[in-house]
Amino acid sequence: MAVNALEVRSLTKVIGKKKIVDDVSFSVNRGEIFGLLGPNGAGKTTIIRMIVSLIKRTDGAVSVNGHNLDGQFKEMMSEIGAIVENPEFYKYMSGYKNLKHYANMAIKEVSDERIMEVARLVKLDDAIHQKVKTYSLGMRQRLGVAQALLHNPSLLILDEPTNGLDPQGIREFRDYLHALAHEGISVLVSSHLLAEMQLMCDRFAIIEKGKLIHISSMKEAMEEDEKTEVIFEVSSSQKAVDVLKGQAAVSSIKVLADDQFSVHVEKATISTINKLLISNDIDVYGISRVTVSLEDRFLEITNKEVRENGGVVQ
Amino acid sequence: MIALIRNELMKLFQKKSSWIYLIIIVIAVIVGGIISNKVSDEPDPNWRAGMKAEITELQQNAKNAPDEEKQFFTSEIEQKQKYLDENVNPNAVSNWHFLNNVVYPMTTLVTLLAVIVCSASVSAEFADGTIKQLLIRPHQRWAVLLSKYISLMIYSLILVATLIVAGYLVGLITFGNGDFSAKIFELAIDGQKEAAVGPQFFLKMAYYLPSLLVITAIAFMLSTLFKSQALAVGIGIFVLFVSSTLGGLIVMLAEKYEWAKYLIFPHLDLTIYALQDKILGDITLPISLAILAVYYAIFMILTFVFFQKRDISI
Repeated sequence: MAVNALEVRSLTKVIGKKKIVDDVSFSVNRGEIFGLLGPNGAGKTTIIRMIVSLIKRTDGAVSVNGHNLDGQFKEMMSEIGAIVENPEFYKYMSGYKNLKHYANMAIKEVSDERIMEVARLVKLDDAIHQKVKTYSLGMRQRLGVAQALLHNPSLLILDEPTNGLDPQGIREFRDYLHALAHEGISVLVSSHLLAEMQLMCDRFAIIEKGKLIHISSMKEAMEEDEKTEVIFEVSSSQKAVDVLKGQAAVSSIKVLADDQFSVHVEKATISTINKLLISNDIDVYGISRVTVSLEDRFLEITNKEVRENGGVVQ
Repeated sequence: MIALIRNELMKLFQKKSSWIYLIIIVIAVIVGGIISNKVSDEPDPNWRAGMKAEITELQQNAKNAPDEEKQFFTSEIEQKQKYLDENVNPNAVSNWHFLNNVVYPMTTLVTLLAVIVCSASVSAEFADGTIKQLLIRPHQRWAVLLSKYISLMIYSLILVATLIVAGYLVGLITFGNGDFSAKIFELAIDGQKEAAVGPQFFLKMAYYLPSLLVITAIAFMLSTLFKSQALAVGIGIFVLFVSSTLGGLIVMLAEKYEWAKYLIFPHLDLTIYALQDKILGDITLPISLAILAVYYAIFMILTFVFFQKRDISI
């Protein structure tokens, strides 16, 4: 069996008496984009910082590509490229000098050609010899990606990478990550922006109060139930409700407005309802299925957690 | 390791301030040269006659003076007689006299600038957030810290070298090349010490280096303790001033209490050994050096242990 790109076992961090991170285990497969979701302060950043050894672990083990953090620190760190929150640079130096600085720290030699290649990759080759203090936030973010990729890492770790990026920048960033994953690089990304993560990740874990409370693939999470919620836009919702009341297949009708109502039905029933409405002289202007968002799932999962543990909602 | 040191030196010299500090030293030496050229008299070829006249006048005054003042006059006369006996012109000028009298005291400026640079070193990485990107490389923390320390020591030595070279050149231009081993008398606690001017200057510079080493070690330690660059630099300068002020107090304290002799402050200025063999009664140069070595080791161990264990959570 192939070694996992990242393997995290029983990661724990205790500060004082408080467990900031509590027995978190997960693994990231090769070429996979794995998301760590959770509200701010849930412990995502602490987990990531423990993986890259910025924060000492109280307990637990981390290995990247089979290299263990305890015994093979150098080998492991060589496999990782990371952006921890907003990437900060030496503003008084040029982008090139900044990259050169990190290239010098790599174990395997990084050639000057490679530096320029990465600069071109993130579309910074025109500005690479300007001082970083003249860069926009988006450019700095891209320089951040460049420094993380310089040494051809097998695992990319990104902590809140879209913080401070405009929608255009976020989209570019996302496309870029997909391209990297396609090339076989694994990505661990943390964020509290659920809509963003839904588009970005293959699998995800939800962290809450330092604990990992859910882990699944995005596909599984988004798989629709047999019944979905459908909204109809009609000439008169009151008349429509009267017509549909007798139907056994139609349940939980909700009137949303004078000309809108929603039902909870199976796929086949949608067309049945449509026919019924038309044959009863009710005009149908629109039918739309409500798609489940990661946000809905997230709230479902976290609320369930609260209920099951009898916890207090913050 | 060499790559790490090269990186740190690159960062140091990409900062404008590092160059400005070097320029400040050169300017200070030039100003010192101009001022001492203005205030120093032309060396009088007939100084011996003048000196003899002064002695006669002092002898006259001594006769009429009250008993308690007589001692002052006798020591004054003795001093001047010494100049005559040894044939040392007290007003002699040369580039070596300039180095010994004007340039050597400017080491205070070098210390100040070195403290500023050292205490800003690590704290600036924290303040700018670049420490995160620096420590996720395949290098142990102590190695990164050591490379910083070594590069700072190289910079401090460049500061010292700039002072000596600029001092020599300015001295040469203003006063011309003089006798390297011209005799001088320097005021010490127990009377006048006879010395050769050139060797005396280099002896003082040699005694200056250990104290520079220890003071910069304190500044470097402060820079790892604080996340704010301004705070680290402020406290660094504060410690520098307090230590130079406390020296005198400790001397008084040491007369009463034995332990006060082992405080760091009286040993920070070793150049006093260029004038006398013992300080605080019975402390000799090797003892002072040993005490400094112990403090130095403690500061370094604290710095490295603290930095190694620290959680980077900015």
